[in-house]
Amino acid sequence: MQVIENLKVKEKVYKEKLDNGLTVMIIPKPGMNKKYMIWGTHYGSLENEFIAPGEEEKTVVPNGVAHFLEHKMFEQENGTNSLDVLTALGVEANAYTTNDHTAYLFECTDNFYEAMDELMDYVQHPYFTDENVEKEKGIIGQEIKMYDDYPEWKVYLNAINAMYHECPIKIDIVGTIETISKIDKDILYKCYNTFYNPSNMVMVICGDFNPDDMIEEVKKRLIDKKANGEIKRIYPKEPETIVKEKVEQKLEVSTPLYTIGIKDLVSENCNLNKSETVKKHIAIEILLNLIIGRSSRLFKDLYKDGIIFAQPGLSYEFANIYAHILIDGQSSDPEKVYAEFKNEVNNFKENGLNQKDFERIRKMIYGSYVKEYNDVTDISRMFLADYFKGINSFDYLDEIESVTKEYAEQILRQVFKEDKMVLSIVKNS
Amino acid sequence: MQYSQKEIKKGIKVHKIDTDKFKTNLIAVFLTTRLTRENVTKNAMISTILRRGSKNMTSQEEISKQMEEMYGASFDCGLDKTGDNQILKFYIENVNDDFIPEHEENMLKNAIQKLLEIVFNPYIENGEFKKEYIDQEKNNIKQKIEGKIDNKARYALNRCIEEMYKNEPFGLFKFGYIEDLEKIDGKNLYEYYKKLIKECKIDIFVSGILPENIEEIIEQNENISNLEDRNPDYIMPSILDRKTNQKENIVNESMDVTQGKLVLGLDISLENENQKYETLLYNNILGGTANSKLFQNVREKANLAYVASSSYSRQKNNIFINCGIEIANYDKALDIVKKQIEDMKKGDFSEEDIKNAKKGIISTINLIDDEQDTAITYYFGQELSEHKIEPDEYKQKIEKIQKEDIVKIANSVSINTIYFLKD
Repeated sequence: MQVIENLKVKEKVYKEKLDNGLTVMIIPKPGMNKKYMIWGTHYGSLENEFIAPGEEEKTVVPNGVAHFLEHKMFEQENGTNSLDVLTALGVEANAYTTNDHTAYLFECTDNFYEAMDELMDYVQHPYFTDENVEKEKGIIGQEIKMYDDYPEWKVYLNAINAMYHECPIKIDIVGTIETISKIDKDILYKCYNTFYNPSNMVMVICGDFNPDDMIEEVKKRLIDKKANGEIKRIYPKEPETIVKEKVEQKLEVSTPLYTIGIKDLVSENCNLNKSETVKKHIAIEILLNLIIGRSSRLFKDLYKDGIIFAQPGLSYEFANIYAHILIDGQSSDPEKVYAEFKNEVNNFKENGLNQKDFERIRKMIYGSYVKEYNDVTDISRMFLADYFKGINSFDYLDEIESVTKEYAEQILRQVFKEDKMVLSIVKNS
Repeated sequence: MQYSQKEIKKGIKVHKIDTDKFKTNLIAVFLTTRLTRENVTKNAMISTILRRGSKNMTSQEEISKQMEEMYGASFDCGLDKTGDNQILKFYIENVNDDFIPEHEENMLKNAIQKLLEIVFNPYIENGEFKKEYIDQEKNNIKQKIEGKIDNKARYALNRCIEEMYKNEPFGLFKFGYIEDLEKIDGKNLYEYYKKLIKECKIDIFVSGILPENIEEIIEQNENISNLEDRNPDYIMPSILDRKTNQKENIVNESMDVTQGKLVLGLDISLENENQKYETLLYNNILGGTANSKLFQNVREKANLAYVASSSYSRQKNNIFINCGIEIANYDKALDIVKKQIEDMKKGDFSEEDIKNAKKGIISTINLIDDEQDTAITYYFGQELSEHKIEPDEYKQKIEKIQKEDIVKIANSVSINTIYFLKD
């Protein structure tokens, strides 16, 4: 097993790639009662067209399959539902689907190995029938409608749609009532067999464990399955431009919601190595905080004028086929926030960053990374999500010192481009 | 983890949670006061005006800069309604010295000093809160009050509570009322603040790798030494606190929603404190987990919902059932929900269900140690209960519960209000 140690947070990761292609990461947390296990596949809502290993023909599936599959994995041939079995053990079990991965997990204090038996069993044994697939359509239908009532989700999705022409990140992860109606058991098996191969998966375990013993526990529970070949993922070509700058939707909300998006160039990201990707991400986090963070001049002014009421959410999201910045919140005047934001970006471009402010924000970002290591849940999810981006989470702690003011200024000019910005608003009719 | 508490003055306690499991220290100050229509909006204003500046950090920007300088110490405030009390909560979480590149200063001491200053020594101009800050925060609270419609599921729950507790403190909205905001100015709010600080219950929590003399550090802080003894003005919840509604109150409301939100408010009549633990088990079996009757029957068997669950509000002895359903399926869903309540009364659940529910609850008790804020919440919850118990005793109480105890609870349950939000 490979051991990676980080002296800043005083944590170690034990990593091994097994013969069947599965990557396992174990992060010991001596003294913690809480234990966490998460098993993820590099398969999310983006994968709607692909050529399965060993095949020539391309497969096209309806939107929402990855999420549908996640729901259906719990159903077992013996008539039980694994979620019930896990809950009966007193563990907290769940699963989720994102754009680029799907994950199955549980957290517990007791009965870890019994729960591990169940989790590893159900993820390796799909059981889909016409009947159980049909029944799930009612439940997921209500999940789709629940999101319809979330203005936060709408304002986000509209911003994404304003930025991207073709990229499947445009598609709602849960699909629509119409697309999920086309899902049947054959489609589910096809996707399962393609993407739930150990070579496309990673497992993270965090808690008070001995890594050498734990890796044996994992191996013991794996069924005999060989690593399959390469999955050819087919994505439409995405132009560099945005679709349109402004989009608005009417919904019953008290104060308008807004999301400002800045589309980044994926083609440039593809040429970055791992440490450059991390550095760029850190620089963007620092920049966003300098421009509109809690201690910024812009935040102070917008707050003072009653235009915003809280610090906006700031994030940079990226995967192999998309990359963008999102700034979101509620505002009495989203247009004004947008105009002032653009203005402030230009000010920073012209005048450069202030060294003292830069260093203070960098210290803050460092602290925020350290805090991620408090909780076994946060640690496990972070290592899993970063893994699918080709990143080891420790890299953020190691690279932060090499992010200089000059480097951040370069990223500012490169990424914060006016013709790549969009504004999405949800407000009352 | 080791917990201890010390009453440093009458009505003011320091709670110490010694633990080396975390990278951070968490410091919290809770101000507890009686929830009243008269003061609810003022308390909401206090909780936000204090963020705006203190004696030595005179603006929000200055506070933020100081926090950033401390490797991103995070300062946060909250406002809770717990039973018939309103709680103003203030937190600072800071990275422990062991995980900072060069430790130049004692971060914990610094963080404590800053938090106490923010809460007990606000920025005052000419004997009042700064007018500019007051105006902005009134605007801020107004937005929060109007914002109660934004999350439809939460709105439906709040409305159900409001209907059940008309003209009672627990029915109040925690951020208050717009018409009361108008009457607030920097002067009367500062007068109110001084009275609040003089009379409220004060609890100060420190969790992390702590020096031995932590209580002294806090006691000797000038902002604390200035405080006086008090008989705190708050309400200890009582099990006698029960509602009796002879008839189900049915409320339908329309809004721009795609999905209907069904909320049922249930009353539980308890005879003794131990029954609170039994109610916890009852709720777990009824709708607390994926194995529960509601999840299994409304979601898995009838496929009517994605969300179908219940939660227990122990201060007021209510259970709230939540389901997100197709609007046309109202009758069908309500019948199934009611049947689950009836089946519980008949004792239609197994020993296996009880065993599983116990495991689930005990597991959450075992987690108290592993999450700094959970430990603080737990010990503060004990502070507001007449019978204080340590986690181990809590577990024993859960273990001892028998089926007949749960059936007894089930038979004391009655539906108070059925609330439905539709289009």
